[in-house]
Amino acid sequence: MQSPGVRSAERHGIDRPAGTASDSNRDLAISARGLSKFYRSPWTLKVTRGLEDLNLEVARGAVLGYLGPNGAGKTTTLKLLTGLLKPTRGEAWLMGIPIASPESRRRLGFLPEQPYFYDYLNGREYLKMAGQLSGLASHEADTLARHWLGRVGLGERPDLNLRKYSKGMLQRLGLASALVHDPELLILDEPMSGLDPLGRRDVRELILEQHERGVTVMFSSHILPDVEMLCDRVAIVLDGRLSRIADVGELVHDGRQRVEVQCSGVTVIEIPPAWSTTVTRREHGSDTVFVVEQEHLLNDVLAWLLRSGVRVRAVSPQRASLEELFLSAAESSEERRSA
Amino acid sequence: MNAGLIAQNTFREATRDRMLSGVMIAGLVILIATQVMSPLALGEGLRLTIDLGLSAISMLGLLVVLLVGSSLVAKEIDRRTIFNLLSRPITRPAYLVGKWAGLAGALWVVTAGLGAGLWLVLLSRGNADHTASILQATYLAGLELSVVTACAVLFSSLSTPVLSALYTLGLYLVGQWSYDLRSFAGHVPAPLSTLLGTAANLAPNLPLFNMRTLAAAGELTTPWHLAVATAYAAVYVACVLCLASAAFESRDFK
Repeated sequence: MQSPGVRSAERHGIDRPAGTASDSNRDLAISARGLSKFYRSPWTLKVTRGLEDLNLEVARGAVLGYLGPNGAGKTTTLKLLTGLLKPTRGEAWLMGIPIASPESRRRLGFLPEQPYFYDYLNGREYLKMAGQLSGLASHEADTLARHWLGRVGLGERPDLNLRKYSKGMLQRLGLASALVHDPELLILDEPMSGLDPLGRRDVRELILEQHERGVTVMFSSHILPDVEMLCDRVAIVLDGRLSRIADVGELVHDGRQRVEVQCSGVTVIEIPPAWSTTVTRREHGSDTVFVVEQEHLLNDVLAWLLRSGVRVRAVSPQRASLEELFLSAAESSEERRSA
Repeated sequence: MNAGLIAQNTFREATRDRMLSGVMIAGLVILIATQVMSPLALGEGLRLTIDLGLSAISMLGLLVVLLVGSSLVAKEIDRRTIFNLLSRPITRPAYLVGKWAGLAGALWVVTAGLGAGLWLVLLSRGNADHTASILQATYLAGLELSVVTACAVLFSSLSTPVLSALYTLGLYLVGQWSYDLRSFAGHVPAPLSTLLGTAANLAPNLPLFNMRTLAAAGELTTPWHLAVATAYAAVYVACVLCLASAAFESRDFK
């Protein structure tokens, strides 16, 4: 079944003439082919890879989480898409329009990582200017600026100077400025960064609300439970290369299926040597938990436990969390690099 | 339209900066000082007032260009406020034009304010007949500052604030001495003469905007001079901003 969100263009063997916005590009919110960025030091002329051969397609209305450790190429990707960096090679389109054209950013809302603003403006003035720069008329921008200030919880003091804003308030203002012109595509770089738990909840709600309205969202984050909660699809970027891209459910189910068996009444019981690497035990209060690393052993383990006279209280399949999968991908990349 | 919005914001930034009001106050202090010194000028008090008043407009304007203009773009890159602008449907040339127009507009306000102050001082001394020459000289000073601002925007889009202030000051000095440089180039051997001649030709012809001596004598310049100075400033600013845009177009904002 076709995934609702993103699919790897490479996997689907895309072969279109360069520089044209094909019909499929127009149907997509984000599309990138061979997008690469290399940085050359002006002093040593040493070339470092920021991003290499990114092939990515994000369907309209999808929510894509973009994961990777620090320096993996997340921000480079987002800056290439938003026109702040110029690609070394490759192409990309936003809403079917090549990123080289400023028009591609008309329906885009972008929140940079740790956004900075003009401290001589107040919140209302800033949002009004942001709306006008994205094409709103002056009156409309003013109305929407007031609306969004209120929506992100800054409406009580619209004339407060931005130099008096706290870090969390600036992050909220950044989100409001990304949303003020009612964009069809949101690209957010670490939107939860610098926010307290309440602020994070508000941002999650905003993203979900935009998703329900049909807005496409692509965001990078280090807060994996949020990604798991919000995203249809997840892309993992490591060392400047797209390492993995899949549905969230598909990713977590792809992982090892572990089963935990909680028992009571366990006295002296030895795990058979054949299972020494696949079954482990740990004490949990007055109970004992046997962790079966391979799901197909479950029946045998249960039979053995029942034969041993213990009382089985619960059998719980354990899904690998996104965090475990992310860490495992990062570790294998680290091993590849050191090898 | 977007260049207009950037200009409006830059104008707002410059006019909300306390430095601009400081410059206005410094200009008024200089005008008052000329009145204190006038009795010591042996009958040349009027000339002293006009000369110092017009020089103050140019020098204080240059100070604003060096302190504000030279960091105009570099500061936005350093503080990353540029991310919020260039991730919107704005072309980079429109951004640079907007930055130039906003600061040039603020400098026109300073120039007009100080020019009006000088005119009021002259009016209070019963020298209303100098009105037209003061108006012309102030207009030319405004044009000169617009040209220097364009150079500051060029350097600011390519370099750090300190370096771009130094480059702007250097170009301003070469521009002020462009006639002398050209004449000096005729008296030195070949490679140096070519170098000096090229520098004098590339630098803005700033003496074109200087009519302080004429204004101090209460004389007017010709409409032709005003038209040529206006056209020259427009073409020079356009060329410098085109150069700045070409260089800025390929810049990465990490």
